Amino acid sequence: MSAPENNTNEIDSNMSEAHVQTEAQLAHFVTDLLDEHAQHVTAVTAKRLSAARGLAVEKLASQQAQTIHHGGNVLSWFGSNVEQYIAHHRTISVAVVFVAMLLAFLATQQFSVNTNLENSDAFLLASDLPPEAYADKGFDTWLVSKRD
Amino acid sequence: MATARELSDFLEAVERRAFRQTAYAVRDDHASLDIVQDAMMKLAEKYGEKPMAELPMLFQRILQNTMRDYWRRQKVRNLWTTLFSSFSGSAEDGEDRDPLETIDVQDDSDEPSAQLERSQTIKLIENALQNLPARQREAFVLRYWEEMDVAETAKIMGCSDGSVKTHCSRAVHALAMELKKQGLGKLGLLELEVSEQGLE
Repeated sequence: MSAPENNTNEIDSNMSEAHVQTEAQLAHFVTDLLDEHAQHVTAVTAKRLSAARGLAVEKLASQQAQTIHHGGNVLSWFGSNVEQYIAHHRTISVAVVFVAMLLAFLATQQFSVNTNLENSDAFLLASDLPPEAYADKGFDTWLVSKRD
Repeated sequence: MATARELSDFLEAVERRAFRQTAYAVRDDHASLDIVQDAMMKLAEKYGEKPMAELPMLFQRILQNTMRDYWRRQKVRNLWTTLFSSFSGSAEDGEDRDPLETIDVQDDSDEPSAQLERSQTIKLIENALQNLPARQREAFVLRYWEEMDVAETAKIMGCSDGSVKTHCSRAVHALAMELKKQGLGKLGLLELEVSEQGLE
């Protein structure tokens, strides 16, 4: 590479570096002011922030206390992890519960006992009328109307 | 694992800054407080077992994600509001703020005129920051205000290192132009104009 090209590259590099430095200087000027101003909040805001911090610390302390209390209890570890999973994946958890309920309902409908005893063999044999009577269509119609 | 004391000290150090950052992004002090509170709770719940050194980055990531959730909910809410009401938008919160309630943590011994100039400068900077595009503001805040490195910033923003540098550069440039427009060129910000062509 020739000398003039070396000089051009060096100048470009210096300008780029100068640009970065100026950019950083401005950024730090701005953020220093922002930092100073950030400390100036209303009394209400300061109180709420303090309360929020207290809640978060309390939450951590109780979680850590539970961990110490239960030690190596596998079930409680499992339970707490499931609880956390459900808390963090509410939509999926609700969908899973809904699908499970739907499947249970369909299964119930599919395998439900037929309570129409009038058509069962046991009913026919135990009935006062002979089985042939139930084969008569006219008798069937009378039976339905009597039931109504 | 961070102790409760360590978490408390960390949150105390960052809570006001986090509140300000969120307020610049969502422009609603009440919502900002809710977002910061949510972020604190999530940090304690989900990452309480992490070491102290990881908390700053984790907290920032949670804070940014919580802000995005807020914006998504606002979009849906505004859609319904627009559809079913002739009144739209969120009200300005300025009426609730009483300047006399402001707590001065540090006792400033500057002259009143200097204080006034400083507060006006801060106001201009706040407005300029609020007017930045969301990604540029996020990159600027994380990179310069939170003093995270490029890699950490990229991880939180979910983009590449190059994108972070670009966003930061554009943010600083936009801030410089805005401040110069407001008459703050005397602070030595004109140098950025020289390199303006390099940013295009």
